[in-house]
Amino acid sequence: MGDLMVADRLEKIYGEGTAATLALSSVSFTFGQGEFASLIGQSGSGKSTLLNLLGLLDTPTSGTVSIDGTDTSNLSRKELAHLRGESLGFVFQFHHLLPEFSVFENMTMPIRINGGTVREEQRERVNELLELLGLTGLADKNANQLSGGQKQRVAIGRALIKRPPIILADEPTGNLDTANASAVYELFREINREQGTGLLIVTHDRSVAEMTDRILEMRDGELIQDVRNDYA
Amino acid sequence: MLSLSIATRFLRSSLGQTALITAGIGVGIAVVVFVGSLITSLQADLIDTTVGSRPHITLLPEGDGTLSADLAEAALDEPEVTTAIPVRKLSVIFAEGDASSALSVTGGTQSDLNSVYDLDEAIVEGVYSLDDGEILVGTVFADRTGIAVGQTVPFLLPGGSTGEYTVAGTFDLGSAAANDRLAFLNADSARTALGLSQDEYSAIEIQVDDVFASSEVADRVETDGVTVVDWQDENEDLLSGLTAQSGSSLLIQAFVLVAVALGIASTLAISAVQKTRQIGILKAMGMTDRAAGRIFLFQAAILGVAGVIVGIALGYFLIWGFSFAPVEFSVAPSPTLIAASAAIGIIVALLSAIIPSRSTSRLDPIEVIQNG
Repeated sequence: MGDLMVADRLEKIYGEGTAATLALSSVSFTFGQGEFASLIGQSGSGKSTLLNLLGLLDTPTSGTVSIDGTDTSNLSRKELAHLRGESLGFVFQFHHLLPEFSVFENMTMPIRINGGTVREEQRERVNELLELLGLTGLADKNANQLSGGQKQRVAIGRALIKRPPIILADEPTGNLDTANASAVYELFREINREQGTGLLIVTHDRSVAEMTDRILEMRDGELIQDVRNDYA
Repeated sequence: MLSLSIATRFLRSSLGQTALITAGIGVGIAVVVFVGSLITSLQADLIDTTVGSRPHITLLPEGDGTLSADLAEAALDEPEVTTAIPVRKLSVIFAEGDASSALSVTGGTQSDLNSVYDLDEAIVEGVYSLDDGEILVGTVFADRTGIAVGQTVPFLLPGGSTGEYTVAGTFDLGSAAANDRLAFLNADSARTALGLSQDEYSAIEIQVDDVFASSEVADRVETDGVTVVDWQDENEDLLSGLTAQSGSSLLIQAFVLVAVALGIASTLAISAVQKTRQIGILKAMGMTDRAAGRIFLFQAAILGVAGVIVGIALGYFLIWGFSFAPVEFSVAPSPTLIAASAAIGIIVALLSAIIPSRSTSRLDPIEVIQNG
């Protein structure tokens, strides 16, 4: 498996001088193609900070993130935006759908952001994803008309539409009930298996982490454990 | 284009807000269009009343000399000059008992005089006729002296002799002073009264297409032995009044536009805050800073265009409403003014979007993601 994402001695300090807080301390790891991994840790352990750095949403104080062989440290904001659009998919704790748009429009937004028009095969892809996500027939509904679980599934569909090699998910089931949460994890597993999409899921719930193939654990800004989970 | 489609959707998602600000811009533009048209029409009417049917430039001989009709021909070579006529001017006195009143008489051919003074339209009683021995006098003079059309009246001429002329008609030139003091004679009658020969004239009267170009033309037609009288020099008070009026009207229009700009800017600023979450997520998905900033520029452009259309329609409505007002002039919308108001309206809208657009383009997606 090739290294799709490499974090090299990542450090993140918030604030300056005496108010400085070390949020992340020398975190290094690699993430291969098609991996299904989780990143766990208590609240404040630095897992979301790490995910934001990996997702190119934030810049490290020191250290580098490379995506598919590209060192991102010296990229402009425009190049970072482009790389985010091309290589990464995001699922957040809050679905962050655009309430002004329909389910179909929300799902195809990443294609349009990167300058594309939605082609016929992508329309089919939307239909496939809607079926996979259990949202058949809801394409034309306004995003606001859906339930919480449905919204989160649309957000997952949106992250998948461009078939990015990596999906970063930050507490994707944090706002869902148990039934919906396990449905989402089953979905992630299915996407990983069938489409070879790499998934890195941030969670504070160890039982959720145990469903993934690799568990990375953070504590006080450090990566303290990185183990394979053969029981998943 | 995605930014445009998002801008449209954002505006549609808050229809009430969009309608309010469009109405705000519309009212502002309507005021600009209406006040601008009102002042332009009012001033055009004032200028027309003052000099529309008067010479704009008068060439006079220096000292006791006379002028040749060739000067009128030469003046017509200037592109701005529409009319140039040779006339003979004299002062006559009408005496009745102990009272006497002076008349400033202009002598010329019937068609020449008509081309400057529009006399055939100004005739109130009688006819526009200037045969030998006929005179036209103003309505005020006729009323004051009790002279009626058809009556033959003696006038004291410059040389001390007396000339008798028959009143062919009375005119109203739109000004009481003119209607009291001016009179018109046949070219030959005036020549005889002044004792001039065939090609001797006492003045050349000129009209130009743009009355405000008169000073420039006056400089060009000035030659040796000729004194040039420009209407602008003789009406300085009126002109400074008009300038002050234009200035205050511009000030009102400018402040209205500033209010419109502040309205758009505050609406867009609110919208930028309301849509921060959406902008953040779009950026996380790869939207560039510039594309995100363009969303608000497009919103401003759409609001500007919609507001301008509403404003122009409302402006026309106000102008139509004004046509029922009891005033002696009518307000005509000027296409140039409307085009300028539209352009300024849209530019103001775009300028108002600069701040929200910049803050949007600077927004970091992480701010939104972290704060949920």
